[in-house]
Amino acid sequence: MIRQVSVFVENKPGSLMDVTSRLTEAGVNIRAVATFDTPEFGILRMVVDKPDEAKEYLTKLGYVVRIHEVMGVALEDKKGNLNQMLAILAKGELNINYIYSFIIRDGKEPVMVFNTDDFAKAEKVLKEAEVKIVEEADL
Amino acid sequence: MIWAKEETLPRAEIEKIQLERLKETVHYIYEKVEPYREKMDAAGVKPEDIQTLDDLKKLPFTYKADFRDHYPTGLFAVDKKELVRFHASSGTTGKPTVVGYTRKDLDTWLNNVARIACMGGATPDDIAQNAFGYGTFTGALGLQGGLEKIGAAVIPMSSGNTKKQIMFMQDVGTTLLIATPSYALHLGEEIRARGLDPEKDLHVHIGLFGGEGMTEPMRDEMHKVWGENFLCTQNYGMSELCGPGVAGECEQLCGMHINEDWFIPEIIDPKTEEVLPPGEKGELVVTCLGKEALPLVRYRTGDLTRLFYEPCKCGRTTVRMENLSGRADDMLVIRGVNVFPTQIEEVMLQIPEIGPHYEIVVERKNRLDVMTITVELVDDRLLDSYSKLSELEQRIKKGLKAQLGLATQIKLVAPHSLKRFEGKAKRVTDLRKDGL
Repeated sequence: MIRQVSVFVENKPGSLMDVTSRLTEAGVNIRAVATFDTPEFGILRMVVDKPDEAKEYLTKLGYVVRIHEVMGVALEDKKGNLNQMLAILAKGELNINYIYSFIIRDGKEPVMVFNTDDFAKAEKVLKEAEVKIVEEADL
Repeated sequence: MIWAKEETLPRAEIEKIQLERLKETVHYIYEKVEPYREKMDAAGVKPEDIQTLDDLKKLPFTYKADFRDHYPTGLFAVDKKELVRFHASSGTTGKPTVVGYTRKDLDTWLNNVARIACMGGATPDDIAQNAFGYGTFTGALGLQGGLEKIGAAVIPMSSGNTKKQIMFMQDVGTTLLIATPSYALHLGEEIRARGLDPEKDLHVHIGLFGGEGMTEPMRDEMHKVWGENFLCTQNYGMSELCGPGVAGECEQLCGMHINEDWFIPEIIDPKTEEVLPPGEKGELVVTCLGKEALPLVRYRTGDLTRLFYEPCKCGRTTVRMENLSGRADDMLVIRGVNVFPTQIEEVMLQIPEIGPHYEIVVERKNRLDVMTITVELVDDRLLDSYSKLSELEQRIKKGLKAQLGLATQIKLVAPHSLKRFEGKAKRVTDLRKDGL
């Protein structure tokens, strides 16, 4: 089992950055992160190296923080492996509430996937900042 | 058309009627209603002390809180078997404000509504579509009864269901619309959005509006939507006083004529509680005359206005009250429903997953009021899943719907993100500029 840290965040500019910068202050390393889009608020879910310290630090600053367990499954980087795992869970009639992937991977650059209302603008600002945009074919 | 001769009496005669009825009322409440007797005794005033209209100011005020303290019928002066009707409106907290009528009260009330309907141009030939919400609210049944007294035909449509409203207007030939001004604007725009021109394609030419104030910019909009010749007036009342029928605008549009033979208005400074001279702005205080079931003396309406005593060009001599210019307290009017922040607070305090702080924002979107309440989440267990968070949202909405009878928007935010106040909190932001 893996312990996951969930933080309540509002859907407004900078709210995710507020959490990540606080964790940086606390010396906590984020290994994986996920949010899902809802109009008003979100739950930021993270796997970090020091969950207890993360919760204590953020709670002290007024965040609503929850630690709970999730299951981790190692997947080889091979075609159909995710599908195979999902098939096993489906066959067992297990419902998956959410799924996300690690951004820190050995030997390869981590990939962060995000969704925004204005992709054209996002692409423009990222290119201006010389950030490498990974296309589907590059994965 | 002027409905009653009392509307045109010389001032001295109006005052004679008022004084006579005031004396009766004061004896009546002292004898029949214990809370009044206690208040008068505490203030050291006896019914015999009221000998002139000016003596009215010796009497103690009655507050909305008195309805809560003597809930539900502690302020009633008659036995329940003499009642023929109950109505109710929102209270400052969970319990509603309950009002009652004897047969005579009902008759007086509906005659007063007939007067204000005539002021607004209604005739026996009118077909009146009543888009006030039916129920315990006094507006819908009050206007229905008043228009029926005149001889107009009433369509008891109730609020909402725009498509059906328009169908009746087209098919039955509605000539008069009863609604809140914001709903009338919304309806008019929906009609235009369907490619209809109200002036050419419909017969609606009179609007009797109430439930919330109508500003002059709203009236201008009303003419743009319903046509230049649309006669739109507003009227004033509140369930504690009887419901609609306290005052109404005539076609001169220079303030709302108060039915002075049944209501004595005063304007006071809400802070010092001193009576102000005519023409000055302050809180409207109303004494009801001749009411049997629920007599009310010096009732603090909370509405801010001014009074003008000059006779009107329409021929009526009754005093006119200016368009309301706000509230002396923090009451909000949302879609014609009175809402007190204390009612909202009561719901919030019953939900442990959220903090005690909240903010209310009221906006008008597409002509209709939208109230958004922001609350702070405090319980981390809800972060297990989105469904727990949305379940909380639904639970808050349901609680508010039960309390206020209104749909609200809920916004959950992180703890400590709402502003904290030292002293009196400013929790309400009303963004409805000029009611538009």
